[in-house]
Amino acid sequence: MAVMTYREALNLALREEMHRDPRVFLIGEEIGLYDGAYKVTQGLLKEFGERRVVDTPICESGFTGVAVGAAMLGLRPVVEMMTFNFSILALDQIVNSAAKLYYMSGGQYSVPMVIRGPGGPAHQLAAQHSQSMEVYFYHVPGLKVVRPSTPRDAKGLLKSAIRDDNPVIFIEAETLYGIKGEVPDDPEFTIPLGKAEIRREGTDVTVFAYMGMMYRALEVAEELAKEGISCEVVDPRTLRPMDIETMIGSVRKTHRAVVVEAGAGFAGMGSEIAAFVTENAFDDLDAPVERITGANAPMPYAKNLEQAKTPSKEKIIATIRRVCSA
Amino acid sequence: MAKLNMVKALNLALHQEMERDPDVLVIGEDVGVDGGVFRVTEDLHRKFGGRRVIDSPLAEAAIIGTSVGMALYGLKPVCEIQFSGFAFQCFHQIENHAARYRTRSQGRFHCQMVIRMPYGGGVRALEHHTESEEQFYAHIPGLKMVIPSGPRTARGLLVGAIRDPDPVIFFEAKGLYHAAREEVPDEIETLPLGRAQVVQEGKDLTLIAYGAMLRVAREAAQVLQDEDGVEIEVIDLLTISPLDRETVVTSVQKTGRAVIVHEAPKSFGPGAEIAATIMEAAFLSLEAPIRRVAAYDVSFAGFAREKANVPDVARVVAACRETLAF
Repeated sequence: MAVMTYREALNLALREEMHRDPRVFLIGEEIGLYDGAYKVTQGLLKEFGERRVVDTPICESGFTGVAVGAAMLGLRPVVEMMTFNFSILALDQIVNSAAKLYYMSGGQYSVPMVIRGPGGPAHQLAAQHSQSMEVYFYHVPGLKVVRPSTPRDAKGLLKSAIRDDNPVIFIEAETLYGIKGEVPDDPEFTIPLGKAEIRREGTDVTVFAYMGMMYRALEVAEELAKEGISCEVVDPRTLRPMDIETMIGSVRKTHRAVVVEAGAGFAGMGSEIAAFVTENAFDDLDAPVERITGANAPMPYAKNLEQAKTPSKEKIIATIRRVCSA
Repeated sequence: MAKLNMVKALNLALHQEMERDPDVLVIGEDVGVDGGVFRVTEDLHRKFGGRRVIDSPLAEAAIIGTSVGMALYGLKPVCEIQFSGFAFQCFHQIENHAARYRTRSQGRFHCQMVIRMPYGGGVRALEHHTESEEQFYAHIPGLKMVIPSGPRTARGLLVGAIRDPDPVIFFEAKGLYHAAREEVPDEIETLPLGRAQVVQEGKDLTLIAYGAMLRVAREAAQVLQDEDGVEIEVIDLLTISPLDRETVVTSVQKTGRAVIVHEAPKSFGPGAEIAATIMEAAFLSLEAPIRRVAAYDVSFAGFAREKANVPDVARVVAACRETLAF
């Protein structure tokens, strides 16, 4: 077991999978000569050469389309979006081609590709660089969507995503690249897609959160423990497909649930979790499932407004207290 | 008062608004000389000329981008995207530009524009031509998402949308274009955006639908009244975002039960937000979990399998019976 950063864990996953399978190749903007905007692909051009680490023009729909074609013909591309916000320019390729071709061809073509890169709010990146793009992809049949919160998950889930025969959306976070954690050395270590992880066990309320909000939820759980409220923090990791057993199982135990979501809340990730929990655990619920989400506005640039838009610790604490007193 | 189908009603709204306001113009593929692929813009080119009814190249991003520019300088474009499945090509123009100018420019600029798109099944077309993508737009702060359910609401809401100072996504159910004729007043009628209508009062269960699914919901309500003697309250949502929380929540507080019907796939779909909203605001009134009757989580099974995928009366009746028996 080695301690490494989230960034290094991703890099190691890519390196191991490229050694393991000659069909795996990387494609994206600045991933080769420049080692990636966030250095996730550092050293890979040198190690594997330019046929397997492909620098592209600034054209998301172009290189995503090229990757869909490559995947259809048997390669396993890993596409980097410099930030996932830019995937909006490749949305047609992702939704109408990557996600649907297996179905449209009656199973003749599968599209084994990964689209990865950072997403969600960071520090003063403003409206067009702070979006939680996963919400769009969650609604698309044919895609799998991963949000890895720890270095261990980053490695284990990226390897599973690369080995999966379907298109997988894999959204990292600028704010997590530098965090450190233990990561298994075994090159065969993977984490299956579709499995949630209980980050902290508790008995009074289930808190669903991932990425930066998961860490905030853990801090909140620590504070609330002092006043006798026991939070179970569940990190869904993938919501498409969703780990129904773990998520519903936790609510059946605690009888209360809140969702913490960084992005805009209306028709967001928490909407489905709240609706789903109500459908499947109605008789177990002692209080409504509440959502603590980003405000329904584009992300402002100003630091104070950015903080006001994003769910704060105080707001999460107040909501959990209210839910637990209901 | 004339009896018009939805195509004619929309056409009437465009004629009258273009006569009333010289800043209103129409732009899209085949909207001019050809009169639109579904004939919604018929005769506009003849009457208003090529400067106000603009035939564009097959370039959705250019249609929306050009319209954003025109709207910033005070024109009021009504754009047509030929099928909603093509709009991923212009999604970045809608999300990153149209929806954001008001906040980004601190109110100095705004985009008064309507983006009309045919959506949904009912015409035995293939994927890309049959899907229901309203959820993508409902999630975007700064947009309004409107879906009329017949000729009269289509006319009134389109007028409301054209006069709204901010961008409005206006979905037209293809299955309704020629489905039925309805009395539409000759004089201009405007319906407010963001307001749902209770189209049938009842005390036992609230059935929420919109677009082409309203007819299905009303027929299901009739079956339940005839066969089970229950009184269903049917709500025509009309605007998906902003959601008319008051009408929906008040109804469920009265009936204690809710079923939501839509054509979009279930997971992370529009019904999730509606269910989450009801649950948050009316938890203590609920006698049963909120059910969602929606398309399955697969790529749109078009053509021969369409009827199996899109909710029908039997599925809605079954979901209501389950909810009533809970």
